[in-house]
Amino acid sequence: MSQTSSTGVQPRTQTPRLGWLSRPRSFTDSRRFFLFFMAAPAVLYVLIVGVWPLAQGFWYSFFRYNLIRPARTKFIGLDNYIAIFEDRGARQAILNTFQFTLTSVSLQLFFGFCLAMLLWRDSRFNRIALAFLLIPATITPLVVGLIYKALLGADYGLIGYYLANAGIGPRTGLLTDSGTALWVLILIDCWEWTPLMALILLAGLKSLPADVLEAGRADGATAWQRFTLIVLPLMLPSIFLALVLRTMDAFRVFDSVFVTTGGGPNDATNTLMVLAVKEGLQFFNIGYASAIGNITILFIACMAAVLLLVVRRADVRINGK
Amino acid sequence: MAQVSGRQVFAERTAVLLITIVMLLPVVWLITTAYKPSNQIFSIPPRLDFQPTLDQFRNIFGYFDVVSLLRSSVAISAGTTVLSLLLGVPCGYALARSRSRYATGFAYFFLAIRMVPAIASLIPFYLMMRDIGLLGSWWAVVIINTMLNCAFVTWMMFSYFRALPRDMEEAALTDGCTQLGAFFKVAVPAARSGIIACVLFCVMFSWNDFLYPMFLTTLDSKPLSVALLTAYGTKDITWGSLGALAHFSTIPIVLMALFLNRYFVQGATNGVQ
Repeated sequence: MSQTSSTGVQPRTQTPRLGWLSRPRSFTDSRRFFLFFMAAPAVLYVLIVGVWPLAQGFWYSFFRYNLIRPARTKFIGLDNYIAIFEDRGARQAILNTFQFTLTSVSLQLFFGFCLAMLLWRDSRFNRIALAFLLIPATITPLVVGLIYKALLGADYGLIGYYLANAGIGPRTGLLTDSGTALWVLILIDCWEWTPLMALILLAGLKSLPADVLEAGRADGATAWQRFTLIVLPLMLPSIFLALVLRTMDAFRVFDSVFVTTGGGPNDATNTLMVLAVKEGLQFFNIGYASAIGNITILFIACMAAVLLLVVRRADVRINGK
Repeated sequence: MAQVSGRQVFAERTAVLLITIVMLLPVVWLITTAYKPSNQIFSIPPRLDFQPTLDQFRNIFGYFDVVSLLRSSVAISAGTTVLSLLLGVPCGYALARSRSRYATGFAYFFLAIRMVPAIASLIPFYLMMRDIGLLGSWWAVVIINTMLNCAFVTWMMFSYFRALPRDMEEAALTDGCTQLGAFFKVAVPAARSGIIACVLFCVMFSWNDFLYPMFLTTLDSKPLSVALLTAYGTKDITWGSLGALAHFSTIPIVLMALFLNRYFVQGATNGVQ
């Protein structure tokens, strides 16, 4: 920062103006002043509406605080956090959330990459196809849940009925069986978000330097060698970006789970978000729900850090820097 | 990618076409459900052929106050979008043009805010709105949606403005243009497509969201998304009616995303980097 040049000592100032700005100001000084006031409203807004509630949530998580019994509010230290890990249902929700996130993001990365490779050639056909492929990502997630709930129902569902009759899967339907429900939710998530993953990866593919790819071809590398030795290493930043985005979104999954199974049967599809919403806004167990929310934030931050570290490592190993 | 055979291109296109069709089948099914008569929705075995009818659309006007639902959805989306852009675009610009070493840090702060799970701030926010008496109004939803969306817009416009050269604005400033003038007459027009992408995403996020309105609105102020959820589970309402109602909640956004696809792609790729 060049603070010293803006003290008004130097002759490089504009013509003095009247009014409260009459003190001669350097160009950068008024610019900085202006930019500060352009940024301030949004920063203030997010601090008041975003960060303040988060801080309150952090505070509430150390209390036994139930809206239905406000008189019994009491500071209980870390008891809410301990309760999460002692409760079987909550432990199940943590495991479910991790299973959901890891499986669905890996599947999406794999299929998304395949799709991006298919769409790599820049043509009108591919652009139009991509536009249509992105429709699942733009549909209300709530409606997505309803669609699959209707399709997979064992009694009248177009898919569910025939599956149940052919003896494939549980008789009550895939979404109402504790063994299959989570897997169905994973597949729904893949249906919804694989195209978006492909889109992010495609943007990475299109920005690869053409001469490097051409050089690989000219040197007689096979298609597989070109893929593993040239495309994949160069794509690491895009892959990382797509992974971070989708991991964080998948970890916060709420809409499709809440609509299709509501966390059931027997907590088999309960995720951290669904658990927190139920505890906080249906049972008004504010302290406990806040603790779950904070744990979720902690997990997300840890995963982002791990992903960052893994990519740094891989980058060093492949690109040697 | 040079020298590829026509056969390979053909194979690729067939694959893409097949994938697209399979991916879109559930959506097509949802749309067609709305034109089926109720007795054919619950037929055993389920069938694909049916006599098209508009009964379901007539039904939903009986079950729901569709106009009021639409009004709520539009009010929430419009309010959120306008406020988010008013807050986010100047902030993104300022952070991109600032020479302060804290600017990038602030930009990442906005990105991090977007990644926080909704529930963590929703519960304290719910209590806050209850205390100031906004619970149950559109404002409660608009206020919290604006927080998330203006964080998105700030980050997106930050990366967009940073990629634009500053020469033009600096030239305008030396020519005697005011700071605000340089922003509105030079920077904003240059970033037009980024701003359109922001509008698209803000409308999409706030139109599709149902967690916030579910807990923050009442019967009179609930938007379409909440109505869809509560309608499901009441016994008079069939999948057909839900399909018809889903027309209103999905088709505007899908059409918008299709027609503004260029901006959608920009928002989904440029906005996050």
